[in-house]
Amino acid sequence: MEEFLQNYGFLLVTLVQQSLLALSLYFPLTAGQLSLAAPGFYSLGGYIAAIMATADYFAPWRDALGWAIFPLEWLIAAIASALLAFLVGIPALRLRGIYLALATIAFVEILRVLCLNLDITGGAVGIFGIPQLFESRWGYIWTFGPLLAATLFFGYRLDRSRVGRAFKAIREDELAAGAMGIDATRYKVLAFVIGAVLAGIVGAMSAPFLNTWNARQGTFDASISYLAYVLIGGGRSLWGPVLGAVLLASLPELLRPLKDARLIINGVLLVIATVYLPQGIVGALHRLKQIALSRGAAARGGDGRHP
Amino acid sequence: MGVILEARALQRNFGGLVAVDSVSFAVEEGEIFGLIGPNGAGKSTLFNLMTGLTPASGGTFTFRGETLTGMPPHRIAALGIGRTFQNIRLFKGLTALENVKIARHSRTVTGLLGGVFGSGKSRMEELSVEKKAWEILALVGLADRGTELSDNFSYGEQRRLEIGRALALDPTVLLLDEPAAGMNAAEKQTLTGFIREIRARFNLTVLLIEHHVPLVMGLCDRIAVLNFGELIAFGSPAEVQKNPAVIEAYLGAE
Amino acid sequence: MTGEREFPSRTIMDAVQLLQNLLNGISIGSVYAIFALGYTLVFSILGIINFAHGAVFTLGAYLTYSMSVGQFGISGLLAGLQIPYQFSFSLSLLLGAVLSGAAGVLVERLAFRPLRSRGADPLLALVSSLGVALVTVNVIQYLVGSENYSFPADVYGDLPPAFMFHFGGKMVVIRTVQVIIFSVSMLILALLGYLINFTRTGKALRAVAENAATASLLGINVDRFILYTFFLSGFLGGMAGSLVGTSFGIAGPYFGVAYGLKGLAVIVMGGLGSVPGAVVGGLVIGLAEAFVPADYSAYKDAVAFAFLFAVLLVRPQGLLGRAQIQKV
Repeated sequence: MEEFLQNYGFLLVTLVQQSLLALSLYFPLTAGQLSLAAPGFYSLGGYIAAIMATADYFAPWRDALGWAIFPLEWLIAAIASALLAFLVGIPALRLRGIYLALATIAFVEILRVLCLNLDITGGAVGIFGIPQLFESRWGYIWTFGPLLAATLFFGYRLDRSRVGRAFKAIREDELAAGAMGIDATRYKVLAFVIGAVLAGIVGAMSAPFLNTWNARQGTFDASISYLAYVLIGGGRSLWGPVLGAVLLASLPELLRPLKDARLIINGVLLVIATVYLPQGIVGALHRLKQIALSRGAAARGGDGRHP
Repeated sequence: MGVILEARALQRNFGGLVAVDSVSFAVEEGEIFGLIGPNGAGKSTLFNLMTGLTPASGGTFTFRGETLTGMPPHRIAALGIGRTFQNIRLFKGLTALENVKIARHSRTVTGLLGGVFGSGKSRMEELSVEKKAWEILALVGLADRGTELSDNFSYGEQRRLEIGRALALDPTVLLLDEPAAGMNAAEKQTLTGFIREIRARFNLTVLLIEHHVPLVMGLCDRIAVLNFGELIAFGSPAEVQKNPAVIEAYLGAE
Repeated sequence: MTGEREFPSRTIMDAVQLLQNLLNGISIGSVYAIFALGYTLVFSILGIINFAHGAVFTLGAYLTYSMSVGQFGISGLLAGLQIPYQFSFSLSLLLGAVLSGAAGVLVERLAFRPLRSRGADPLLALVSSLGVALVTVNVIQYLVGSENYSFPADVYGDLPPAFMFHFGGKMVVIRTVQVIIFSVSMLILALLGYLINFTRTGKALRAVAENAATASLLGINVDRFILYTFFLSGFLGGMAGSLVGTSFGIAGPYFGVAYGLKGLAVIVMGGLGSVPGAVVGGLVIGLAEAFVPADYSAYKDAVAFAFLFAVLLVRPQGLLGRAQIQKV
């Protein structure tokens, strides 16, 4: 067991972390918003944690709080992400579809260039030597794990609540949702902020986990990965992004012998998934289940109607 | 009973095209008001102007004296103006029950945290939403199919569901855009009776766009006739039927 | 002139700097314009953004390099390979662009057509084209590694590497490649303009862009014209990539990503689907980048995206696009 965790602990925690990042893209998607902004907030959260953990300015804080500085980093990352998300989201979410995606791409790029050049972020080199919260990589399961559980609980409850219904209505038909009394812009911004806050907290947790932090954490490539997780796993339920992340993020390990080809395979999977699995794997499984159920009902002589 | 809705010189231009040309009329509270005219006359555009889905290029529209022109659609809906659409805009990927529940949005207040953490108030509100939604489904005869995807319903059932959804808003005014489209004679009869019933039961004022002239003549208290965006006639069914401009518009359009 | 060296006046230095920036800006701007037109053509026909365009850009650069220089480096499957026969630069440029056009057609077949025949959400096409881009770029990496490739200075044959003009002691440099870029771009724009506005093919393309259903009813083979469009788009992308590659070198298979994204900024600025918009947008962004003061040169890349964001907020239809009317 010990050896397994030593060899695969990092991978397992990474799978949880990537699932969380996929979910940060999922929440805006539940309101129909294709936002590629997650890497920007992830990067922001990580820098906040890295700076609070290493900068001289925060040394008295670190001395006073001890390990409690870590939850504080997460809190501040969450608040900063929320503020930035409101700032960016309110104007950007008046846009639809491709325009929104482009605006979020622009946002991530601008943030990346800024981080690459400012002193406080360590410029191109970034910040390194970030103090650890746990002794081993596997230890971080105690931060990412509960966060994932909390996020899944949050998502489950949201889906069944009034706000969750508003999101779904907007996703289905934004105009009709307005005609039914739903302020679409407000809820789109809310969904966007939820995704941003999640990405920011994950970033803050990831800084000590990865030990260094630089502008390469927040790139367009990263948003493609998260998009792939959601698309391949399925964007219509909470489990889709998790499944997609676990499958795709473990691919590098599984395909270790083919290491050069794995990105090619990622790309091929993306094409195949969008063409043949528009609802992702979870969606496809759901459809199979429905087909099986209706066949069963027909066999029993029913007309498929709900009793 | 007084005037509940009033349009004054409502105008809608699309570039060089005039879709609605200085249309003025008043709707009495509690009446069933019909809006007819040849295809492309601007009827649906007029509905869109009234519900804020399309901005007006000029003129005003008031509800109980409050100006609605310039208001966003969700606020107009919250004030009590519900509608259906010519092309049926149900939330296809959601169940019938969810479709109806969504319309309760502006009548409820549970926020994000209340919904997620399940406060006492939010749980009670959720129960009331559920109860009301089933009542509406029963009213439109779809209570046995509540948990089915609305996309799986037949055309007629979808029309009924859409009306039910609009009723779930607790509206004071109901705008129905061609609710009888695609129905046979028997269904049209049922619909007519149904509209009279809900008008009485819920104290509604109903505005109705419809192509089937006999249905309109039989159901509506007063009728407005549009042609090329202009209001060419306005009055009781008898008056409108005899109006030469109306006859020409319909015969000319054939 | 006296025996003493004259010190250039401040205004002359500023004017010379201005001229230099102008020239640099127009040069890179015209490449942005050509590249952006590839996006515009596909968008006006299909209403979607082809995210594989940046990969075709990259492919074009590598193809032109292979045909004109043909010496591969130390990593990848083809490490150390020296292609025995080289074409002249102009021929390589042309062939590279043509092959890129063919690649564009392949992209359409793989990423767009299957989704189109199913009537799928256009955003899905965005993602599948991204997938194709990922595959393309990584296949290139697999074959020739990720090192830098640059074109030798004598690749243009007899032309000198640069022209220099002296103004009162200060120098304005026009690199030959900039002249080539500008002239090729202008030639292509002229040809494209002629094609779109004065030929039957162009008229058919415009008809399909306006309304594919109607065009098909008029007897236009819509599928075939979509193919032509993707060929043209790939041609433009590959041409732009080759020109950039010769000008700045090829910094590995991911060098096209930045251009791919900047191209999006160009078309949004100019107005999605607008041909003159792409040209104007390209020049504006090229000039804006050229005029970034030297102290802030690190932020040059952010200029295009700042423009993109600002335009989306203030006037989403861009400078020359038409406002979208939402049909209810």
